[in-house]
Amino acid sequence: MLDMAEEKDLQSTVKPKVTLRDVHVHYGDVHAVNGIDLDLYSDKVTALIGPSGCGKSTLLRCLNRMNDTIPDCRVDGEILLDGKNIYDAKIDVVQLRARVGMVFQKPNPFPKSIYDNVAYGPRIHGIAADRTSLDEIVESSLEKAGLWQEVKDRLDDSGIALSGGQQQRLCIARAIAVSPEVILMDEPCSALDPIATAKVEALIDELSGRYAIVIVTHSMQQAARVSQKTVFFHLGEMIEQGDTTQIFTAPREERTRDYITGRFG
Amino acid sequence: MTNSTILVLIALMAMFAFAFMRQKSVAVVGGATEALHSLPRYHGYFAALLVLLPGLLVLVLWLATGKMIVENLIVSGLPDELAAVYADRIDLLINRIRLVAENGTGVESDESILAAAARFNQLYARGIIATLVFSFAVGAIGFVHASSKVEPDFRARNSFERILNGVLATSSFLAIAITLGIVASLIFESIRFFQQVPIEDFLFGLKWSPQTALRADQVAAEGSFGAVPLFAGTFLISLLAMLVAGPVGLFAAIYLTQYASQRTRNIAKPVLEILAGVPTVVYGFFAALTVAPLFRSTGAWLGLDVASESALAAGLVMGIMIIPFVSSLSDDAITAVPESLKRGSLALGATTAETITKVLLPAALPGIASAFLLAISRAVGETMIVVMAAGMRPNLTANPLEAVTTVTVQIVALLTGDQEFDSAKTLSAFALGLALFVLTLVLNVFALSMVRKYREAYD
Repeated sequence: MLDMAEEKDLQSTVKPKVTLRDVHVHYGDVHAVNGIDLDLYSDKVTALIGPSGCGKSTLLRCLNRMNDTIPDCRVDGEILLDGKNIYDAKIDVVQLRARVGMVFQKPNPFPKSIYDNVAYGPRIHGIAADRTSLDEIVESSLEKAGLWQEVKDRLDDSGIALSGGQQQRLCIARAIAVSPEVILMDEPCSALDPIATAKVEALIDELSGRYAIVIVTHSMQQAARVSQKTVFFHLGEMIEQGDTTQIFTAPREERTRDYITGRFG
Repeated sequence: MTNSTILVLIALMAMFAFAFMRQKSVAVVGGATEALHSLPRYHGYFAALLVLLPGLLVLVLWLATGKMIVENLIVSGLPDELAAVYADRIDLLINRIRLVAENGTGVESDESILAAAARFNQLYARGIIATLVFSFAVGAIGFVHASSKVEPDFRARNSFERILNGVLATSSFLAIAITLGIVASLIFESIRFFQQVPIEDFLFGLKWSPQTALRADQVAAEGSFGAVPLFAGTFLISLLAMLVAGPVGLFAAIYLTQYASQRTRNIAKPVLEILAGVPTVVYGFFAALTVAPLFRSTGAWLGLDVASESALAAGLVMGIMIIPFVSSLSDDAITAVPESLKRGSLALGATTAETITKVLLPAALPGIASAFLLAISRAVGETMIVVMAAGMRPNLTANPLEAVTTVTVQIVALLTGDQEFDSAKTLSAFALGLALFVLTLVLNVFALSMVRKYREAYD
């Protein structure tokens, strides 16, 4: 049993995995994200909620610099991963993205075999020394993604032949295979049916604690179910952040309460 | 009175039918058009088609068969002695009559021919009037029929759509029928050729020397029709062309789809399309007058013997010609790969180059392969560049510095100038054409089936 002093001590020593300081994002003349300060922790699932166009997906894409691929997109402010600014000129985007994985809105497995899908990341980063260790990585990644039992006998089948929910879990396995420290999920269940959604949510729960997970979602229930921390955005600004229980039971801001209760959004 | 007058009159009648029936349909319901099943204009369209189509059909039949019918009438009415002179070659006689009929009486002095020509003109004029009357008659039947149909419940819109459907279907069948006709003519003429020259000599013979002897004892009486050197030449030049167009076209497509900024793309794509629009004859003299001499002098400088009409020059320029073909088809294939795959790969920390080689190109491979096959079939069938820049002498070689000739060049050579259409020399052109057609057909079918079979189903 921990006493009060010890617990307090523990909390203060837990450093945030990712720190955002005064982050602004512009698309050309449009100011999409306006001055965000936020801490993300390794042992927590953070849910980003808010109405469409509030900048939550844009902010998510800043964390692995996927915004780089969009012309006219400008990111200002500091985003620190383990204390180092990821927008620093010295940072290698390829290495950053190996540390910060991403799962997309629509499942996007490559038109390759299930095995090759998962082995894709380890291969390009040269993680596996030989075939045996690559096999191990593929198996453990599929295992962690809860897909191993379903696909272990047909690893050579095309990833596209899987069902939508299985495809999305394959994409999660693919992201896990490069041992990221942070996993970004951009509405990972919006293209899935309720049963597949339940499986992916259970998986997120399973993975939490091992990775810093950030999930963008339009479903209040999903945010409440899977996350420990919730951040509410509106029109590019962060309105409120806090423990998920607090946000959903006792929001401090009126706009948060209105959104959660469905009065707008 | 000419044929085009008939066309104008039928069109006017159809317009009248349109206006009349539109009015009538409104009148039938006393102006309350909502009581009509179809809008008034559909009643008009329906009537116009019923007038126009039968009338046009009569006119087309007349244009297709009219002169033949009149000629037969004239021939049967000719004096017996004249017919006896031309007993075997009645077409020559008809030509003489037609010459007078079309150019006036100054070119002929034979009385009976002049009389026949006058009769030809007279009969033809009557034929036109008969056609006019007949097409008006069927038009009128259509008009009356359409008129009797005008009532509130008549589904004029559906009937109109049905007729239009028929017209469109006929057009596509016509295109197919014409294609089949061309193929059939190729096949029939080739069969005539293969009656004179054994098919195995043609397909496997190593010597191409197409001449037929007039006398048995003349010089070079022996012709030989071995097509292998021609196909070897075609193959060599196509290979050289693909060695140029394949990599350059594919790399251009990769650059334009993956690396180039939107601005570069907006400029480069139209420029590439201009390259595709340059007439092949321009490439031809570019090859013959610029590239070939350049290679020749470069070769001389290096101590190589380069023919002034080298396969290399022709192949290189043909390659330049098909670059836009390869690049634009590959561009389409790469663009068809969903953006989400590219992002998925980038998000795993792959570089752009890794994403291209490991995800985009494998996914686009069927499309790219078919682009290459279509480009090859284009190169195989290309004529103008090789006529101008490749040689005329059949040459079985793999050396690109020598002059070779191709199938298409030989076809042009065989059919230029005055020809006798029953000699093996002329008929061999059809056999070459048929072989070329089969070759490109197989390539195209293979390319298209490959795209269909291996296209991944992205949703």
